[in-house]
Parts: sequence; structure tokens; C-alpha cells
Amino acid sequence: MAVRAENLVKTLDERPVLNQIDLSIAAGEYVVILGINGAGKTTLLKILSTLMPPTSGGLQLFGLSVPKQAARARARLGMIGHQSMLYRDLTARENLELFARLYGVQSPRQRAEELLATVGMIDRADDAVKTFSRGMSQRVSIARALVHEPDLVLADEPFAGLDVPGSAAVERLLEDLHIAGKTIVMVNHDVGQSLRLAQRVVVLSGGMVAIDQPARITDAPAILAELGGAEMRYEPESFAVC
Amino acid sequence: MSLAMQQPDHDAHPFSVAARQFILLVGKDLKIEARGRQTIGLVTVLGLLIVVVLGLGLGGGTAGGFGATAVLWVAYLFSGVLCFEKTMAVERSESALAALMLTPVGRGTIYLAKLTSNLALIATVALVITPAGVLFFSFDLSPAPFAFAAVMTLGIIGFAAIGTLFAAVVSSTRLQGGLLAMMIFPVTLPLVIASTQLLLDRFVKGLPIGVNGLGILVAFDAIFLTASWLMFELVLEP
Repeated sequence: MAVRAENLVKTLDERPVLNQIDLSIAAGEYVVILGINGAGKTTLLKILSTLMPPTSGGLQLFGLSVPKQAARARARLGMIGHQSMLYRDLTARENLELFARLYGVQSPRQRAEELLATVGMIDRADDAVKTFSRGMSQRVSIARALVHEPDLVLADEPFAGLDVPGSAAVERLLEDLHIAGKTIVMVNHDVGQSLRLAQRVVVLSGGMVAIDQPARITDAPAILAELGGAEMRYEPESFAVC
Repeated sequence: MSLAMQQPDHDAHPFSVAARQFILLVGKDLKIEARGRQTIGLVTVLGLLIVVVLGLGLGGGTAGGFGATAVLWVAYLFSGVLCFEKTMAVERSESALAALMLTPVGRGTIYLAKLTSNLALIATVALVITPAGVLFFSFDLSPAPFAFAAVMTLGIIGFAAIGTLFAAVVSSTRLQGGLLAMMIFPVTLPLVIASTQLLLDRFVKGLPIGVNGLGILVAFDAIFLTASWLMFELVLEP
């Protein structure tokens, strides 16, 4: 089991953000977490990433108890955020080599080269990240998250701010990771896109799990009904919750 | 998509791993600074302005040793605060700190690396500000130049130890701009008073700076360093 969360509770400023979350994710699953703003999606992802401790409840990543074995668990996860999580003044190559060395990856230079080629950024490898478009930064960010070969990839709104080609490129990269056997947990706003990409949909509402079922038997209207009150934007192949 | 497994190096000794990570982080900070020179330029100009403005206000050469040490400390303090803010802002930009916190690098190592980067920047600034202050105030360092350097170095180490910690605290809040100075100055006041007193005793009253005098500064540094190193893990937020 990649993730096992039991009775997770998170309170921020005495306000409950997550309430009794139970979530089990098998290794190799592609799970998307949906919910309106403030539903607790990002907070849940931060807790799963070990960056934020829960107020109460238990969490295990690949059988490793968090926070007790958080350091070992971190070595098996990679995170993609809506910010690039890169050093803007360093080049793409320098960023990847730095993180590869910090993770103790053997042949960091070769690994950086390989990942830059994978995400289609080898031509811009020696340019500073601050000169990149949002889509380019996001592709390098994905490369950074994969530099140590994580088994679990957490993605917090990886498509935010991307244009259509950029979004498609990131979609393909995530799909390739899934095919390669990685576990993917993604927070997303686009219902249609999420149902198309993921195997399983978890909908958070008021800090609780409102829907947790396979994507193939879930339809967008049911999710949107659960998210009652959310404004809906309809596009030919996607519903987005704003 | 190539996903060839890259085995992390598990066999290395934890200390050598931490030392390697420390060097990587300091190198990263200095490379970023060397590339942009945003912090060093700004901080040096600020320090020089403080020396000149306060020097003119205090009457320049007539203020003597007392004026020089006081003004130099004011310049170090404000320049240092700006250094701490800038070097931590590099980590906050694009949430790079979150990525760093997900690596196996210990929080203590992150603290020591950031402290070293800050010290390197402050030392560079001090190399410009100090001669300017000495010249502006006609401050005769010749009786004990090494004692002056030792006292100021120890003072700056303690100040940077606290500053690096509080910069991490303040950067994770929305209350920036000025808050860092308000937090650091009261805590470092005993250190500033002790070092200024030692310099006054030496350069104004002509008393020697004994081992006990320097021992007080070393004790401050040891306490500030240890406490900050231990607390860094608790205050560092992505």
C-alpha cells in the first residue's frame, strides 16, 4: 500500500480543515483529489508529503510511519506544486544536479541530462529558470520531482496557469509515470480532465471525503452535485470547478 | 520515458553526507549571489550610507572611538538584517524551500549552510564598511587591530546565528518588512553591548582585552549557535 491515512484531522487557527480522513491508495494507482477552494485538498497533500504534520490521526507511506520515519518516506516521494519549487537564478541543469546531489543520486550529471531530455527541455538546459515560461518551469519541476526515482508522486494543481500545449505535455508526463508504475496523487480543479486521467476520484467537501470511487463509474454531474455551490465552467471535454 | 533506477548512496558516513550537503547548499547560495549580486550591492550601499549619515550627525572625526564602534555596529546590524531577509527570500521564491525540505538534508545542515552564507556576505560587507568607518571617524586601530577584528568577528557570528534563525521564522509569516529587525535587535543587544564595551575599554580607556572579555563573546556565540541550531527544525516551514 502506497498511502494509508487513518482518521486524519488537521486544525489551523482552531478551524478544522480536515476531519476524520481515511484514505488508502494502492501502489501504482492514479488518484485525483477534487474539491472546491478551501475543501482541504492542498492541506491533505501537504500532510501526505510529510511537510505538514496532522493535528491527529495516523499516516503510513509504503508502510513507513510518519512522522517517525518521515525521512525514509521522503526518499520515496516526489512533489510537484503549482509553483516550480526551483531556484530561479540557477539554470535547469544546475537545479536538477543540485537536487540529485542532495538526494545522493549516483551520476547526478547524467541523471539531470536524462531527465531534461525526457521532459523536452534539453535545449534550454543551461538557461536560468527565471527565463522560462510557466509551462517550461513546470516541466523542469516535474524533472526535479523525479530526480531520485520516487515511487509516489504528489502533484498539487500541476496544470494551473498552463496553456493547452503545456497542459497536454504535463498530462503526458504524468501518464508516462503512471505507466511506469508510479503512484500518482494529484489535486486538480478540472473535473473532466481528472476523470479522463485518473483511475480513482476522491472528492473532498468540508474537510471530509464525500466521494471516493473509481473514475470509470463516476460522472461529472455527480461530482458537481456533491460540490454544490461551486461555480461550474463547461468546456467541450472538461468541467472545471472554480 | 527513461526511468532507469538511480541508487542513492546509502553507504557513506552520515557526517560526510551532511558535510557534502552543507557544501552544496553554501555553494548554491554563493553562486546565486555571485550571479545576481543583488544582496551584496544593496547591503554595502546601505552600510556605507549609515556610516556617512550617522558620521555626519555625530561630527565625524570628533566622535572618536566611541562614535566609530557604535556607528559600525549600527551599520552591521541593519546591513545584516537585509542580508538575512534576502538570503531567505531565495528559498521562499517559487517554494524552493519545500523542495529542499523534501530532500534527506537535515534541518540542522540547512541552518548551518544558511548561516555560513550569511556570514560570508556580512564579512564581505564588513570589509568595505569597516575601513570606511575607520577613515570617516579617524579611528586609530593601530594599538590593537587584531583585538578589534576578534571582537567584531565574534559579535557578528553571534548576530548572524540569531539572524538566520529569526529570518526563517519571519519569512514564513505575512508580517515581514521590519519585523525581523524588531525581533533580532533586542535579542542581540547583550552581545552588542558586551562587544562595544570591550572596544571602548581598549581604545578609549586603554585597558587590555583579556581572555575573560573575549570569553563572554564566545559564550554568547556558543549559546546563540546551539539554541538556533536546535530551534531551526521547529521554526522552518515550507
